[in-house]
Amino acid sequence: MKAMKTSGYPARRDVLRFGAASAVGLALRSRAAAASDNTFAKGGGSGPLRSAGALAFGPDNVLFVGDIAGATVHAFVLRATDVTSQADLELGNFHNFEGRDLVRGLDQKLAALFGTTYDQIVVNDMVVHQPSQQIFMSVERGRSTDALPAIAKVNHGELEVLALDQIPHSQVGIPNEPDPKAMLEFDAQRSFAITDVKYYNGEIFVTGISNQRFASTLHRIPYPFNAQMATCTVEIWHPVHGEFETRAPIIRQLIKEVQGEPHLFGVYGCTPLVRFPLASLKDGAHVRGDVIGELGYGANPIDMLTFTDPFDQKEYLLVTIDTRSASRIAVLDLGTAKPEPTGGSIDFGPGGLGRTQGLLPIIANHFALLDPKWAVQIHRHPKTGYRLDVSTLATPYFFERRDGMSEMNWRDGPDPFDYRQHRGEISTGANR
Amino acid sequence: MNTRVTILPLLRVDGDSRQPASCGVAVCGLAPDVMVSLGGCVRARGLLRPVLRVTVDRTGTPLDDILPDVLGCHSVFEDGIRFTPHFPFERGLSYRASFDPRPLGRPELSDVLTLKFALSREQSASPVAVKHVFPSSDCLPENLLRFYVCFSGPMQRGRVEAEISLLGPDGEPAPDVFYRAPVELWDRGMRCLTILLDPGRLKRGVGPNRELGPPLKTGREYTLAVGAGMTDLSGSPLPETVHKRFRVTSAVREPIAVEQWKVLPPKTNSRQPLVLTFPRPLDWALLAQTITIASACQDSIDGRMEIDQCEKRWSFIPASPWAAGSHHVRVASSLEDVCGNSVIAAFDRPLRPGSELAYEIGSRSIPFCPV
Repeated sequence: MKAMKTSGYPARRDVLRFGAASAVGLALRSRAAAASDNTFAKGGGSGPLRSAGALAFGPDNVLFVGDIAGATVHAFVLRATDVTSQADLELGNFHNFEGRDLVRGLDQKLAALFGTTYDQIVVNDMVVHQPSQQIFMSVERGRSTDALPAIAKVNHGELEVLALDQIPHSQVGIPNEPDPKAMLEFDAQRSFAITDVKYYNGEIFVTGISNQRFASTLHRIPYPFNAQMATCTVEIWHPVHGEFETRAPIIRQLIKEVQGEPHLFGVYGCTPLVRFPLASLKDGAHVRGDVIGELGYGANPIDMLTFTDPFDQKEYLLVTIDTRSASRIAVLDLGTAKPEPTGGSIDFGPGGLGRTQGLLPIIANHFALLDPKWAVQIHRHPKTGYRLDVSTLATPYFFERRDGMSEMNWRDGPDPFDYRQHRGEISTGANR
Repeated sequence: MNTRVTILPLLRVDGDSRQPASCGVAVCGLAPDVMVSLGGCVRARGLLRPVLRVTVDRTGTPLDDILPDVLGCHSVFEDGIRFTPHFPFERGLSYRASFDPRPLGRPELSDVLTLKFALSREQSASPVAVKHVFPSSDCLPENLLRFYVCFSGPMQRGRVEAEISLLGPDGEPAPDVFYRAPVELWDRGMRCLTILLDPGRLKRGVGPNRELGPPLKTGREYTLAVGAGMTDLSGSPLPETVHKRFRVTSAVREPIAVEQWKVLPPKTNSRQPLVLTFPRPLDWALLAQTITIASACQDSIDGRMEIDQCEKRWSFIPASPWAAGSHHVRVASSLEDVCGNSVIAAFDRPLRPGSELAYEIGSRSIPFCPV
């Protein structure tokens, strides 16, 4: 396995590096020919972004970017040249669940690209463009008012940066200013930290947390953007909190059709899992969601997605959590789970679907699905703490097998998945 | 006798070094026939990249992989080429530029020029310090929801969890008392930080509250410590760790009672302040944006406000003298006290039946007449 990787990988990478260089050269040539390079006069290479946070893809290559500093959600319509198919990329050996590093030392490489040191690099979110399986990341150089945002992408192991000022773009402001009629002076102190942006059926859903109001506000915005926007406030009751209401902010969300109706599933800090029928989220409405799970307190959700287990063909919700293993819950149960009773007896949790959640050993800064068999994570390498890597994990177990010993590698060890027969195989577009 | 003058290429930082956004790296003094070759490189797409490169001298800890060059674009001018970085060069950071003419295939140009450079750091004025911590009072209720820590200049994010702690009566950091927000909650100017106490411990009946109790205990003394390791925009630490000591009083779990506010009406035709005093401290940030004054003919009177007496007093000085007649103090429903109790409801309130759910907007109004 090891020998195969070291012999095959550099050659491929050299070829691809040349390809990447050519692509950048093309862009440079067109600028030089234009004989004017005033890109930096209006905010550097960040285009319309003032910051780069939550990412989501919509149809037709639209990339949504949550911009906290700009109090805006941007929509970039990526052109064919902005996306490169990664279908031929080696993702790992599925027969022994061994993933591979797609980028080693992500923060150091981004620092080198952006002319800084790695401690000034922040990777805020990651998303996969499913048709091409290309990874996109929202990145910032700097940690203060001088932070410069960018959208980076991985092209066959090499980092590239989107030329945001050249991509067709539209944007929508997220209302967060206090009512001007209700204040005497302009106050720039209020900020709304967008925690998640999701696209569903012609609309985006934006959640976030204010620095001044501990409340849950959800924005539902049609795309393409027009003047319309629905803003609702949502509240829940805690399953272990039988008598009192909670107006906590949703941290991560997912929209999914269950039992024939689309629902928004939200995970909160301290991790209640809550279900809202999409139809109830109307402008001006104050909506109370059904708490259907208590995933355990003292934690924040990081990513929320669904995947199909290739072995049992069932669909599962996966929530990665910052302080512990990820939660796995059957999607079928999301629709049928009864709301936790109100006014009932106190339950210390985990409650509801939290009781039956499976735990998966994912400790990732960011996590996304690449294809039905592989996921990708950005994680701190456990044995080389200074390395932030982008690497693949095999579905449905999502464990970093390379970090441990496995009996499957031993000559007489058990071989339930025919690993020895497929020892040299790497999963690419051809045999995935 | 003819003297042949050879102009040697020169590699230099191009632009005003006081303004990093204007800076690039340029090689100039290239002979006209070299420029013709360079034009060919431009046409050949991307071949200028190995000719003029910039790298960061050190990006951090070593990596067993090749680091990319600084991203940027090349442009050709009369007698040279210029590299412009995607993001401006950082002050104080050391870069290495190289001009390697060998890909141009000109035998007379084979020397690789290198240049190590750094743009000088700005002389920062006075060091950034903690200006104020709100609530200002040194007696705070057991169910206090948040602190605001205000700095005299913009700060860097990323150090709050490590640097800000709540020291218990024993002087040791109390564990699990703060809400770990998914992102640090700064204002847009990065000068004011919001620290929330864990709502899970504040709300009665929630698991953390049942298991760990409220984050603060009535009658005890605590200290909010803002560590010197908090760094400002330039990366400099605070001059010293800042401590805010306070004693804990009993919890407040009721809505703000606007009817209990005292209104001190000003004199007609004067610019005396209108003064509101509250029986208990209100949220500093929300006070600044939820109270307006209306007259019979003006929706919102222009003026200036002041908040003092530990956020128990709000004063308004009108831009023009007070007119006679009926006025109103308008209080938006989003105003909260230091525990998150709003004008409408307590932060931690009994569950209402579903049918009573209503969108809570609107405002309270207090009439007054200048005397």
